[in-house]
Amino acid sequence: MIKVSHLSRSYGQFQAVRDVSFEVGKGQIVGLLGPNGAGKTTVMKILTGYHYPSTGDAWIKGIDVQADPLGAQALIGYLPESSPVYPDLTVLEYMEFMAGVRRLPTADREEVIDRVLKRTAADGFRNKVIGHLSKGQKQRVGLAQAILGDPEILILDEPTTGLDPNQILEFRHLIQEIGKEKTVILSTHIMQEVEAICDRVLIMNQGQIVAEGEASDIAKNLQGEERFKVRLKGVTASTALESLARVPGLKSAPTVAEEGLDPLLECAFPKDSGGGETLFDWAVSQRYKIVALVPQTLSLEDLFVQLTKETPHEQNV
Amino acid sequence: MNRMFSVWRKELRSLFNSPVAYGAILFFLIFTAVWFLWMDQFLAQKVASLRNYFALFPLAFIVLVPAVTMRSWADERKMGSQELLLTLPVRTGHLVLAKFLAAWTLILTMILLTIPMTVMVTGLGQFEMGEILGEYIGSILLSGAATALGIFLSGLATNTISAFLMSLGSLLILTLSVTLGAALSLPDAVGNILRFFSLDARYANFQRGLIDTKDALYYVWFAVLFLYLNTKVLILRKWR
Repeated sequence: MIKVSHLSRSYGQFQAVRDVSFEVGKGQIVGLLGPNGAGKTTVMKILTGYHYPSTGDAWIKGIDVQADPLGAQALIGYLPESSPVYPDLTVLEYMEFMAGVRRLPTADREEVIDRVLKRTAADGFRNKVIGHLSKGQKQRVGLAQAILGDPEILILDEPTTGLDPNQILEFRHLIQEIGKEKTVILSTHIMQEVEAICDRVLIMNQGQIVAEGEASDIAKNLQGEERFKVRLKGVTASTALESLARVPGLKSAPTVAEEGLDPLLECAFPKDSGGGETLFDWAVSQRYKIVALVPQTLSLEDLFVQLTKETPHEQNV
Repeated sequence: MNRMFSVWRKELRSLFNSPVAYGAILFFLIFTAVWFLWMDQFLAQKVASLRNYFALFPLAFIVLVPAVTMRSWADERKMGSQELLLTLPVRTGHLVLAKFLAAWTLILTMILLTIPMTVMVTGLGQFEMGEILGEYIGSILLSGAATALGIFLSGLATNTISAFLMSLGSLLILTLSVTLGAALSLPDAVGNILRFFSLDARYANFQRGLIDTKDALYYVWFAVLFLYLNTKVLILRKWR
């Protein structure tokens, strides 16, 4: 549905996006994750035809955005950053305007607007002037506007910023619901959001995509080792540690995570070396009882920090 | 076309949902009527002509047109809604035209609301109806040209105040250049150039009841030029 190839965009001297390529299939929810200034918003502005790329191309359902912006824009519902709306209009007037631009048949307009406002829980304040709404209410109106007219593709730039925790949960639920039928790209710098609702994640940093795939896959690939925490029963930490250190094939020296009678030890094996089995055999041979053996994976948060700390363009220079 | 109509309607709603529109209309009607009847002493003069009344219109437009057009693009940019507007499936040229037509609709409303006043006054004596018709056509065309300029400048400005001031300054020069030029006794060549670009010099012909296609076309081209430039600027920004 969405294809982007070798996209770059500079603003004067500043290169916001460098050589970005990706594809998004129908019915996927893809998260663009990255710190502020990573180029997420720029990618969205190019996809919606608000800005043209310096080099590279973007296609929406096979339509080249730059060659036929109107054709592409007709397929997209867009919620720009901080969901701008018209403060002088009432919610209903705004939705009527959007319905006109989206060319909904006049006969069903009222019904469609009604349905969309109910879906985004915005029908309670439909006759209020938008300027008087709270941030969360405005955000709902922004989302209502984006899904009006049933566009096949939704582009949501930081849809949950400025919402309270309850609203964030509601919003995520709503986006997941919508994502069942539509292709959604959303940007965020909140890790949990991606883990909660996205099928796939593109992690951006300094204008480049630094990782791509399912959140769990990215974590696995990035991890160069198998890390375990093991809790033993009836042995002191120091004795167990001494014995564990002699186990062959360890990547680095084990450490004590928790002292006490049921100590918790942490150790690492090289990737794909069957470390769990080795640990179990060791415990049996030493007659220790394993109370818990937990493989450690990087959380998306760790990943995010690890990926975005690096500065890819400095390496390229 | 339908999409353009939707944008036009949204713009009109935005204009009329704020007090500026009503303030501008009231100011226009009261200012022109009071000045004409009281300051000009129309009733005491016993002259069957509304030329002095219509001569006030370009002066009022110097302030009122910028007040109406200043928010047009500048507000959209400030609030970020421009991004949404420009990513809707509507041609950029149609967006510009819709904004222009909405602002012009408001100005035309002002002009049309003076009809009761003209009808009342013309009942007092033998008035030249051709002259009054020319004056209406002239002020409608003039206001269109001024509105297009205002919309264009609002598109260049980063905030409403600078949009207002830029439009005010430009209209002031374009309206009063001939009068100022005469007062400063500039050379003929300069005076002719000023007269060519002046919005007011051509209006004077309409006021005499002379409807010249050349004058009418000047206003039309003036408006088209600035609407075209407005569209170009918006499209160029996609690259910047």
